[in-house]
Amino acid sequence: MLEKRILAAATIFALSIAGVIALSVRLFGIDLPTCLTDVRPFADAKVIEQGAKHYEVHYVAKMWKFEPADLNVVPGSTVDIYLSSADVTHGMQIVGTNVNLMAVPGAVNYARVKFDRAGEYLVVCNEYCGIQHHNMAGRIHVTDRSQLPPPVPAPPMPSSGKELLDKYGCTACHSLDGTPAPGPTFKGLYGSQRKLADGQSVTATDDYLKESIEKPDAKIVKGFDPVMPSMTIPPADLHAIIEYLETIK
Amino acid sequence: MTRTEIEPGLRKIILFEIVFPMLLLVLGITTGLLQVLYRAGVIRSQSFLGIEYYRGLTLHGAINAVVFTTFFAVAFGHAVIRFYTSKPPLLGWAWTSVVLMTVGTLSAAIPMLTGKASVLYTFYPPLKAHPAFYIGLVLLVVGSWLAFFGWIPTYRQWLRENPGKKTPLAVTGIFATFIVWFIATIPVAIEIIFLLIPWSLGITKTVNVPLARMLFWFFGHPLVYFWLLPAYVMYYTMLPKLAGGKLYSDFAGRFTFMWLVAFSAPIGIHHQYTEPAISTTWKSVHAFFTLLVAIPSLVTAFTLAASMEHGARKEGGTGLFGWWKKLPFLDKERWLFGYLFAGLFIFIFGGITGIINASYNLDTVVHNTAWMPAHFHQTVAGPVFLAYIAGSLLLISTLRGREIAFKGLNVWIPYLWTLGIMVFSTGLFIGGVAGEPRRTNMGLSYTNPASPLYQPTWKIAKLVGTLGGIIMFTAMLLYFVVFFATLLRKKTSEGALDLPVSEPLHDENVPAVQSFRPWLVAAALLLILAYTAPFLELARGNYKGAPPYNPANPVAESR
Repeated sequence: MLEKRILAAATIFALSIAGVIALSVRLFGIDLPTCLTDVRPFADAKVIEQGAKHYEVHYVAKMWKFEPADLNVVPGSTVDIYLSSADVTHGMQIVGTNVNLMAVPGAVNYARVKFDRAGEYLVVCNEYCGIQHHNMAGRIHVTDRSQLPPPVPAPPMPSSGKELLDKYGCTACHSLDGTPAPGPTFKGLYGSQRKLADGQSVTATDDYLKESIEKPDAKIVKGFDPVMPSMTIPPADLHAIIEYLETIK
Repeated sequence: MTRTEIEPGLRKIILFEIVFPMLLLVLGITTGLLQVLYRAGVIRSQSFLGIEYYRGLTLHGAINAVVFTTFFAVAFGHAVIRFYTSKPPLLGWAWTSVVLMTVGTLSAAIPMLTGKASVLYTFYPPLKAHPAFYIGLVLLVVGSWLAFFGWIPTYRQWLRENPGKKTPLAVTGIFATFIVWFIATIPVAIEIIFLLIPWSLGITKTVNVPLARMLFWFFGHPLVYFWLLPAYVMYYTMLPKLAGGKLYSDFAGRFTFMWLVAFSAPIGIHHQYTEPAISTTWKSVHAFFTLLVAIPSLVTAFTLAASMEHGARKEGGTGLFGWWKKLPFLDKERWLFGYLFAGLFIFIFGGITGIINASYNLDTVVHNTAWMPAHFHQTVAGPVFLAYIAGSLLLISTLRGREIAFKGLNVWIPYLWTLGIMVFSTGLFIGGVAGEPRRTNMGLSYTNPASPLYQPTWKIAKLVGTLGGIIMFTAMLLYFVVFFATLLRKKTSEGALDLPVSEPLHDENVPAVQSFRPWLVAAALLLILAYTAPFLELARGNYKGAPPYNPANPVAESR
């Protein structure tokens, strides 16, 4: 019966498309982003020059900008893009390339792109992220080194307390100068009296700070939400951070 | 099946379920027109007529794609079940259903209209809406379930009284529709009830975004088959009759409905190709299943073309292509043909672009660009929308005993809409491939010469899209004139339920497609296969919750 032949033809059609897709992945390596579990979400953008024409960029999407907003690379560069969101869900498309990634809060996305052609590439947020969504964009400038500002050196291993606060993402939610932020400011924190949500009051000692880093929900400061994740920080770093906090008066 | 007198209660319910969303649709269509004007920079503003851009976009999606479709599917379901089983309906279920759906719609509409739920119809957390929005959605969905639950005893009784007889194809189609809907809405109910409502009420402090997104798209793809299936019911059971012939193959219809029951849900991750937290293994499994779900649509395309050819040849059509001329494209009495035919034409392009989107790595070129709304306007605003507005007109006309008003005008509406959709989509397809983002008030940035983000090369595609949008809006204005004039004119006959019924040309007897049971089992197994591992991946990833949401200011500057 004709109907059955049509059914067979439709099935062969669908399977052959699946076959072509499988070939494109196998032969040309054109694949989708996958599940990364070994990279913790980060709050700070970074550009790391891994080699002559190899960059690793940690992009942070936030309302309503990309960080870094501008990226300079030389033609022929391979760029490993890690993407995280600091607030809501965003999208990131580098127009003219196959980079099209969702920035999902809580997870890290990844794509690799090679810029063969010199020029300016528009980076567009293509997922609705609030009332200024249409102004969220960045740029990648692919230009020869002679026209570039001096390259950003790879950051040295963090050692000072301040660098550690950046490394662990603390400064995304805690300011150093008293600016209001999602978490209490670090300015004048050490040794001060803390009013807690349950009405009690404690002194910010070394032990209190250690507990608040490792088990943030144990004592919540009045007026703040229990949204901080538990941090696992090596003892040496922890010590350096608390020492540094003591100096911010 | 013949003209049927129906109970006044059921008649009232169906008419309300048609007219109430039609009034909302006036707003939904207007906000659609505003979209194209904003994007092209004709309106260069954050808001117009007191409706902020993203608030209007939320209304456009929620009214047109969720409220109008759900109400029509339920109304049409009531009509089909009553007409084909000839059994009195269980009115208690039907009344509770319509009350819940209406209360839910109003509950969600108020925060949307007042700007307390500008989260678009996909409501991705951590965008946060007023709790009334989420609660309204739950009531709308539960209300639609109750209508379905009320049909089950009626159908069982019909089965008992008609042993050995095939279930009427239309009834099979409506049950397939609501089985797909029931499967689809369970994960979204879990997302809304357990994640979003407690978070929106402030009971929980954060929300797991990767989990919420997977639950949403577990719902989001079968949702589109829920939209499409009532249109398929009209295609299989009405179109051949309208073309003057018979349904080429009864088997094709049953196969299509059953296959969609099994395969419409285990494919949701094809909406999440570009996301983190899901491995390429499971993305490719969902891609493969998505291609399999194209099979019944290809079979449908063949069967409907063959059915139309059969009709046209019976009416004297000859030649390899000459028979096309005998189809009733502009027949004022068989006006429904034009709406269904135009939808099928649009769906050719919607289907092809759907296969492109589903094609795994190809999606990275078009994901979240203007290409996507171009594609889904060729599906949900093509065959689905045309079938639904035609079905609405048919039901008010037959149930209220009113002849169609402005018949000469009415026959042109579907073709004008088709022209609009094709022009609109062409603009958006071109813009999408060039990188134009969807869901974006581009008039303030990318199409604004005064903005540093101005993209002059996107301008032409935008103007084409806008022209299409204006044609679509014009077609809908004409439709509203015909609809409300038909609704409000003097009675021309006694109202009753009458639907076109197609006889099968080949009435194959293939038991495998005549019972839901094996397909329900297949659906369950496929869901377990497709979703167990992705959910376990999410659990193992232990993703931290979203930061607090502040719609007005960037997080770092809030508080």
